[in-house]
Amino acid sequence: MRVTDLTLGLLTLLGGIAIYISALDFQAIPGQSYGAGTMPRAISFVTVLLGLFIVVKAVIAGERMPGLRLEEWTRSGPALLRMLSVLVLIVVYIVVSPLLGFLPTAFGVMVAAMLILGVRWPLALIVSALAALAIQQSFGRLLLVPLPRTDFLTFLW
Amino acid sequence: MSTVMEAAGLVFQPYVLLVILGSAAFGMFVGAIPGLTATMATALLVPVTFFMEPVPAIATIVTATAMAIFAGDIPGTMLRMPGTPASAAYVQDGYALTRQGRPESALGASLVFSSMGGIFGTLVLISASPALAEIALKFSSFEYFWLVVLGLSCAVFISPGSPARGLISLMVGLFAATIGLENPAGAPRYTFGSVELMGGIQFIPAMIGLFAVSEVIRAFIKRGGEVRPPATSGRGIFREQAHNLVTYPVQALRGSALGTAIGALPGAGADIAAWISYAISKKFSKTPEKFGTGHVEGLVESGASNNGAMSGAWIPALVFGIPGDSITAIVIGVLYVKGINPGPMVFITQPQMIYAVFIVFLLANLMMLPLGWVAIKGARQVLSIPQKVLMPLILMFCMVGSFAINNSVFGIGIMLVFGIIGFLMEENDIPIAPAILGLVLGPMLEQNFVTSMIKSEGSFIAFFERPIAAGLGLFTIAVWSIPLVMWLLRRRPGAASRPQDS
Repeated sequence: MRVTDLTLGLLTLLGGIAIYISALDFQAIPGQSYGAGTMPRAISFVTVLLGLFIVVKAVIAGERMPGLRLEEWTRSGPALLRMLSVLVLIVVYIVVSPLLGFLPTAFGVMVAAMLILGVRWPLALIVSALAALAIQQSFGRLLLVPLPRTDFLTFLW
Repeated sequence: MSTVMEAAGLVFQPYVLLVILGSAAFGMFVGAIPGLTATMATALLVPVTFFMEPVPAIATIVTATAMAIFAGDIPGTMLRMPGTPASAAYVQDGYALTRQGRPESALGASLVFSSMGGIFGTLVLISASPALAEIALKFSSFEYFWLVVLGLSCAVFISPGSPARGLISLMVGLFAATIGLENPAGAPRYTFGSVELMGGIQFIPAMIGLFAVSEVIRAFIKRGGEVRPPATSGRGIFREQAHNLVTYPVQALRGSALGTAIGALPGAGADIAAWISYAISKKFSKTPEKFGTGHVEGLVESGASNNGAMSGAWIPALVFGIPGDSITAIVIGVLYVKGINPGPMVFITQPQMIYAVFIVFLLANLMMLPLGWVAIKGARQVLSIPQKVLMPLILMFCMVGSFAINNSVFGIGIMLVFGIIGFLMEENDIPIAPAILGLVLGPMLEQNFVTSMIKSEGSFIAFFERPIAAGLGLFTIAVWSIPLVMWLLRRRPGAASRPQDS
């Protein structure tokens, strides 16, 4: 998913303007002209100049309309789904792990990820179970990270 | 002398030595897997170091990265798939030697000269750092401001891709660094009422997202992949190296020195050092036509160079608190978490810590020889692990690591957001390293900029009034203006009529 130079320049320019507007309300240090808004304003100044530079360069190079160049993988349904699956699996872990606990969620997420990548069922189940247990023992027990617990698996902690 | 003994006491403990051994094995493993970089090894280790004392924490990262940079040569030589970007420069020669049935020759040269480059860089680090720290003690906010701007500028211009794209990356990092309460006025910025965002963007989940999650996304798109590496006996690895040392002493020394110097430059790392050294080696070689056909000369020079850079990058990191590359940027983040503020004062307040780092560097580069031999022997097994099994495990490790920083799933959310940002950036050839440097150096830049502006009552002339500040300022302006002037010259009407010039 590649944007053309003109699009990149315009996005940068818009980003710079957005940062400038958002920084207008930031307070200065009492009695001084500088404060919370100084740095965002400096960033917005550089970003706007950068955006303009990229736009001008793209126009000189012959670009007239902003656009998007789609890579080969974006036209492949399965590849696109696999890409989205990574994001979904992370969101699932964020939502489900506090409810079900670390071990079942981690096991489920890893099994799903391996199956998506084409690992066979038995191998996916065995590797995921061992990995979830190893991570729980090393992080949860040894390093005392409070990974969310599961009621019926508390004996493992 | 007592400081050195104290430092040795901190390092030579069974626990620290075990940690070094474990992280060496981990670094070898990660470096040997194509697609997993030394930076990713560091990113994955950070959550573990969170639970350690400062010395073993630093030892973990130093050892793992030194090993990963060398181990990147293993898949490069055996499969023509460089394990880390730092190995990409000379992959053609290494692989050509493998096709000639001599993988041990290539791997042996990589191993021995990597170790040599690393030790050379460490010796420079040991001798140069204390003297530089003395000078740095005299620095005020003006000098630090220019030093940070110079570091960020080098990151923009040296990173792969165009400087404009490097600058976009830097702005992403600097903007992310503005989020939260930590600013000169103590006012909330871009927090949207979220208590968690008031603490700012947690550096470690952001970095795990940018480097590791973006890589996992790419692996999912490609659906992993399997490789069949050739067998290696591990015999004869060291046999040819004495001969190489006698034949190519200048190359080994030049690679080590140049690598260390490039590494010390803020923003430039081992990969750039390796490419430049390979090019220089070819330029000055008596047999440049042999490069790329299985010639060991370029391998000796750039192998020494990338590990030299690894050590050199620590010079600005320790002396000024300004990272030399993305790995030291991560290390600086870790040091802050440990309550150690890298900079010249560490040399006075905690000299034993600095000497402990030096000892760890020497140890890591010496241990590379036996451990590298074991890694080369066992390379076939490591390289046979399919990515489709490995990537889900890395994804889980990333999530647990991001969670462990604040014991909150909010860290995983930050990791996810930065994973998407990192993926989109790399899809558009926007380098990631400047964003990391921006995220780390953003607060330092803001603090020194605002302090200087208040001190000078808004006058920019004050930024050039002190001699060192003026020198650094003029140098920074030159870094920015020379490429711009060259671009404008290329766009002159006369130049435009000559298509080969443009």
